[in-house]
Amino acid sequence: MTTPVRRSDVYDALAAPVVILVGHFGSGKSEIALNLGLGFRARGEKVSIVDLDVVKPYFRCRQAREELQANGIRLVAPEGENAHADLPIVLPAVRHLLQHGGGKVLMDVGGDPVGARALGSVSDAVVMDRTEHLVVLNFFRPYTETVGEAVEMVRAIEAAARLPVTGLLSNTHLMSETTPEIVLDGLTMAEETAGRLRLPVLAAVADETTARGLAEDALPCPLLVLKRIIRPPFEGSRQQRKVGPLFVLN
Amino acid sequence: MAKKLMKGCEAIGEAAIKAGCKLFFGYPITPQNEIPEYMAHRLPQVGGTFVQAESEVAASNMIYGAAGSGERVFTSSSSPGISLMQEGISYIAGSELPVVIVNIMRAGPGLGGILPSQSDYFQATKGGGHGDYRLLVLAPWSVQEAADLVQDAFDLADYYRNPVMVLGDGLIGQMMEPVEFRAERTPCKPLSPKAWAATGCNGDRPTNIINSLFLDPEVLERHNQKLKAKYDLMVRDEVRCAAYGTDRPYEVLIVAYGTVARVCSTALDDLREDGVGAALFRPITLFPFPYAELRAAAETARAVLVVELSTGQMIEDVRLALEGSRPIHFLGRQGGMLISPEAVAERVNAICAGLRAEVRHG
Repeated sequence: MTTPVRRSDVYDALAAPVVILVGHFGSGKSEIALNLGLGFRARGEKVSIVDLDVVKPYFRCRQAREELQANGIRLVAPEGENAHADLPIVLPAVRHLLQHGGGKVLMDVGGDPVGARALGSVSDAVVMDRTEHLVVLNFFRPYTETVGEAVEMVRAIEAAARLPVTGLLSNTHLMSETTPEIVLDGLTMAEETAGRLRLPVLAAVADETTARGLAEDALPCPLLVLKRIIRPPFEGSRQQRKVGPLFVLN
Repeated sequence: MAKKLMKGCEAIGEAAIKAGCKLFFGYPITPQNEIPEYMAHRLPQVGGTFVQAESEVAASNMIYGAAGSGERVFTSSSSPGISLMQEGISYIAGSELPVVIVNIMRAGPGLGGILPSQSDYFQATKGGGHGDYRLLVLAPWSVQEAADLVQDAFDLADYYRNPVMVLGDGLIGQMMEPVEFRAERTPCKPLSPKAWAATGCNGDRPTNIINSLFLDPEVLERHNQKLKAKYDLMVRDEVRCAAYGTDRPYEVLIVAYGTVARVCSTALDDLREDGVGAALFRPITLFPFPYAELRAAAETARAVLVVELSTGQMIEDVRLALEGSRPIHFLGRQGGMLISPEAVAERVNAICAGLRAEVRHG
């Protein structure tokens, strides 16, 4: 008989001091990093979020700077006008955090092998026995639509990051059109991918609405219930909306 | 999985593939790099060719040459890159060749910044390059619509033998939404074989020549008038627009295009909740501009509010449409700053308050 998996177990599953999130761009790394950051902080941990996304110009963790500050979370990301740049800036603080630790470190790495190259530049400072290096997978995204493509993506990222991947996060969704079946089908594909790579699926991810439709014992792994934080300015409820220079933060 | 979760840039790339585009020439620039990246990945899979040109000037001349062969050809860039392409675009229009150009606008002028903007409206709709020519300009407000309009753009370009531009702001390029591509798609225009294409004839027919040089002024004038007749047909047949909330009484008509219209649509919901009478008019073609449709929609409004991510460009077409019949207000942000639904609603409320004050004084 197996013990039922509780949703809160996701924080135990990701208990390593350093959690590095990699994957295809648009796979959900930034949202997961922000949600995990707030979750660990709510559990009383000291949290730093490292925005190492040097690939895409929009929708990055740094857009939530004020919210993170208000919640007592340290954001490590370029400041001033460089915050808006698409330049390959890796702050010295990144290496310092990796080498000397300091609470929970969540790293949001840019998409694809291209983005993982920035991680590769600090890979010598990563101590693997205190690190989870996780690939986020959404099978509705181009380039990772099949298990075969996902396996290729993981291997290419490992090569660019110069770090072995230690597990997968299943984040298959279709924004507001996500159904519990979509989450479950995606998880099945993530498990098949994990089997081919001999890696564990550490957790599945679902938004609040979809999660309500998933039975507590429907999943073989913990579930991270995600609140979408970075949205375009026309989304979000009237009470929640707060427009930053770029996007709404809910 | 029928639907995919795509960034606007990826959906634009896939739309071009679905439309049968086999050739892409371009040069990278933020915030549209995902388009060339996607084309570089996908074109070899469908037997096509991707070339990264040495500059946007070169890319525009490469699409010029390739379009002459009759193949479907495509380029994309962002504002400063589109500026560099203007010479080629003018030549392409002058030579009557079909190409599709996507501009994912960023804030200017000059190098400007990399965040969303709508400040290339003039460039897209009023020329950009030299000479009497027009681009047919389509402006999507969602990732799905971007995918649909790019496919239509190839049909329209072929039908009119004219460059067609899909004009999106950086937000359209970078945001992700579910997208569906129809398996079977009927072209939006009846298309005939490209008998004009320079494909080699082996002496079997008169030679096809692709050219925009006409030294005889009478011949060049006739050529200009032929082009003008084509643009008149676009004005007659290709206007696209949408209106929201016009089924109920409204005092203020908001006019906006692209993702700004999405923001205004959210504002409209909030205003409706508060019992404020407002409606939204969205041009989908920027050339041809929906002058008559806008005039009709504004007839029952007392004032018009134009909202743009610029210091005011489309507002000039709104003025032409309304011919002084309604007071026109403007709300704009620049530099990559976005407009919030709250700012739109606040402005509409202020306009309504002003209208009521006028009534009291009058």
